[in-house]
Amino acid sequence: MFCTSSNPIRRCLRREVVRLVVVSAVLSNCVAYAQKLPIPQNLPNNLQIHGFASQSWLKSTDNNNVFGKSSSDSGSFDFRELGLNASMRPKPNLQFSAQMISRTAGKGSPGNIRLDYGFIDYTFLSEENSKIGIRLGRMKNPLGFYNDTRDVPFTRPSILLPQSIYFDRTRKLAIAADGAHLYGEYRFDHGVLSFEGGPVRPLVRGAEAEVALLSQGVPGHLVPDISYIGRISYELDEGRLRFAVSGTDLNIDYHPANGDSLRAGSIRFTPLIFSAQYNAERWSFTSEYALRHFEYKNFGKAPLNLDFFGESYYFQGAYRITPEWEAIARYDVLYTDSGDRSGKKWAAATGGDPHRRFAKDITVGLRWNVTPEFMLRAEYHRVNGTAWLSTLDNPNSGDLSPHWNLFSILGSYRF
Amino acid sequence: MPGRTWAIEPYEIVTNSSVSEKTLSKSSLRAIFGMRLHTWPDGSPIHVFVLPDNAPLHIAFSKEKLNVFPYQLRAAWDRLVFSGTGQAPETVASPEEMLAKVGSTPGAIGYLTRSRMDGSVNVLHVK
Repeated sequence: MFCTSSNPIRRCLRREVVRLVVVSAVLSNCVAYAQKLPIPQNLPNNLQIHGFASQSWLKSTDNNNVFGKSSSDSGSFDFRELGLNASMRPKPNLQFSAQMISRTAGKGSPGNIRLDYGFIDYTFLSEENSKIGIRLGRMKNPLGFYNDTRDVPFTRPSILLPQSIYFDRTRKLAIAADGAHLYGEYRFDHGVLSFEGGPVRPLVRGAEAEVALLSQGVPGHLVPDISYIGRISYELDEGRLRFAVSGTDLNIDYHPANGDSLRAGSIRFTPLIFSAQYNAERWSFTSEYALRHFEYKNFGKAPLNLDFFGESYYFQGAYRITPEWEAIARYDVLYTDSGDRSGKKWAAATGGDPHRRFAKDITVGLRWNVTPEFMLRAEYHRVNGTAWLSTLDNPNSGDLSPHWNLFSILGSYRF
Repeated sequence: MPGRTWAIEPYEIVTNSSVSEKTLSKSSLRAIFGMRLHTWPDGSPIHVFVLPDNAPLHIAFSKEKLNVFPYQLRAAWDRLVFSGTGQAPETVASPEEMLAKVGSTPGAIGYLTRSRMDGSVNVLHVK
């Protein structure tokens, strides 16, 4: 699709809106048809099947690309999320769950189908006010409010999650891990205290993680080491007020290739995230703050032996105009190194552009629940800084503009 | 619509006749409809039935009995379903279906206006 008029953005927008409306009309017809089909009830062992399918279109200014060539005249359709999950509860204290996901999002996520999670959940203690259980397998990482379901548009506050905390650049590290979680909850009269976490092995394979962590193509490869993850939450009045503290101690080793100039170094990443949310009938306010400690050791090259803290936070307000329409506004800030917020020290040391080390993003957006199963979204980002832009989608850092805009539309179906 | 108070006929929390519980604490009721408490005190499984999110009776029940808004319940169920850590309640399309399902499913819990109830379901009171 090519747009070559004197006002390409407006023309493109008009076409994309028409396209999305047509797609949504077709989809809602399918939904109406599906609802007339006999939906299987009382499946054996309480089997439940759910899924979602989303397509986005992104258009950005300058040469700054988000998920494919979004800065091209026609924008990018290279952001697609498909998921299918099944859960079985043969006994009240035993559940099996698995989800497959295909995510297309620029060069970092080519859309291959993979196991998102798959685990056994056994509750070994269940009292009137408390329970304790264990999960074994591949679990979503319990980080912040949104990480556990970050690929499901219906559970996100916006098309793009606040990138300061939910980086799409290093998502493979954050998204899930193999291991064991212990979980529990205690119910008070007016609140619930809960925890989950345990030892895991992070998923670090792939060029995306290597580029994100070592900022260059390296001849060797990264190997996961034993890591720990956990979250403690308190919810007052079944979610009117929600608080959480979560963190990980993520350990990754570097195995050099033959003749590698890098030595067998190690990376230790220990982010700590504080989360708070207030939910009223029409308003929801959410804020999260993260302090991210990075330690790079024994790589043999001075520039790669690092020890610094990154800092991230956002404030977000959502307003439900009607049950069908929701508006959102957010201010999201990322500092790659809190000791060098302007990026100038880093730029002086490496010759890079200082705007690669911070990003301040003002977002406004609108959500329309066309039906309970089908949703349309539009949002606009005004960003100062390029810290969270993917190096794979933006190989020439020198092309990037520090001040840029992003517009996006999303259609999402769930069942 | 948020903010609008619905004129709702008197309604009750109802259970299948197999459920011996006559009263329940509010925190247990919230945990049941939050899909975090899966068994009755005798160990038998709980089956939760709800009306659609925009049904006036669902809105009234959520706000008055659970002190939550329907969007919060939906968000909590979505977090369980799409992280694999739980399951969603079964949504029924109408009060007739609610009565039929709660009346015929052992361990079932739901809610109905008094005029729709019959002898196939028990009333459960919140302590």
